[in-house]
Amino acid sequence: MGIQEIKGNEGIQEYFHRRQTGQQEGFQESLIQNLESRKQEGKGIEREESTTRKSDKASGVNMLGSTAGIRVNAVSQREAVQPAEVRHMSYEESDNIEIAVTEGYTLKGKVEGEQVYVEAKYEDGRTEAYHVDTVKVQEQTQHKIEQFALETLGSLA
Amino acid sequence: MEHKFEKSQRWNYLVEEYQTMLYRIAFSNLKNRADAEDAVQETFLRYMKDEKPILNREHEKAWLIRTTIHICTDVLKSSWHRTTVALDEFMMAESKNVYLPYQIKDDRTLEAVLKLPVHYRNPIYLFYYEDYSIQEIAGVLNEKEGTIKTRLRRGREEVRKILTERRP
Repeated sequence: MGIQEIKGNEGIQEYFHRRQTGQQEGFQESLIQNLESRKQEGKGIEREESTTRKSDKASGVNMLGSTAGIRVNAVSQREAVQPAEVRHMSYEESDNIEIAVTEGYTLKGKVEGEQVYVEAKYEDGRTEAYHVDTVKVQEQTQHKIEQFALETLGSLA
Repeated sequence: MEHKFEKSQRWNYLVEEYQTMLYRIAFSNLKNRADAEDAVQETFLRYMKDEKPILNREHEKAWLIRTTIHICTDVLKSSWHRTTVALDEFMMAESKNVYLPYQIKDDRTLEAVLKLPVHYRNPIYLFYYEDYSIQEIAGVLNEKEGTIKTRLRRGREEVRKILTERRP
């Protein structure tokens, strides 16, 4: 009985020890798994963010404002579009104009050497101006301001 | 004699400077060449008769536009005008008589703008086709800037509706 008791105790201790080891292993395993899965999730989030950033950049949304107005479909290549000071140029002074009532904006363009000065007026009262270096603009550009600058240049030809 | 000369000089200046712009505004409201021309003449006559001092060029321009719009509103309210219904096709053909100092790529949108109710039509027309700022339009129409912004947004939605309805 006594022996049995001793054996039993050892067994119990051994059992607890094994169990604790097993528990630790399991915990470590699950911890590693969790960490890995979180890392992957993190990567996923990062990937998602970077794709969103890329798509935003590609659409020009962040660059030109996301409120009512110009829906730019592509990123400006090689920084052809640079912000400029607003001059409040009149229609008469402009070489080309675009009136987009249904989109809520107007564009005015004036050729100045190889650059085109573009002024955009929005329905919410904002007015923004850009200098577009037409040499840097690709012919097939999807960027609204760049397209308009090329059109302005073409209107004088 | 000198006074007469001054007056005729003033008249010439007014006509040269503002006639076409005021005509376009009048036409956008009345959609009729003869009525628009009458409204512009009436505006100039009122300006010449008006003895209130005009502070500056901007004030002068704003006064002329405001008066033209008021005259147009009066014409539109008149019983004769209310009983005369312009045909759509006639109106469209007449819209070519809006002599804008630039080429517009989209006649259909301008036609849709001319169809808007007056409280949307004037802010939209002045903002897009005469290149006025919201602040200037608010001054001309005696409204708050916020009101003009709202009318521009709602007017734009109305233009979209008109253009969508017209699609086959």
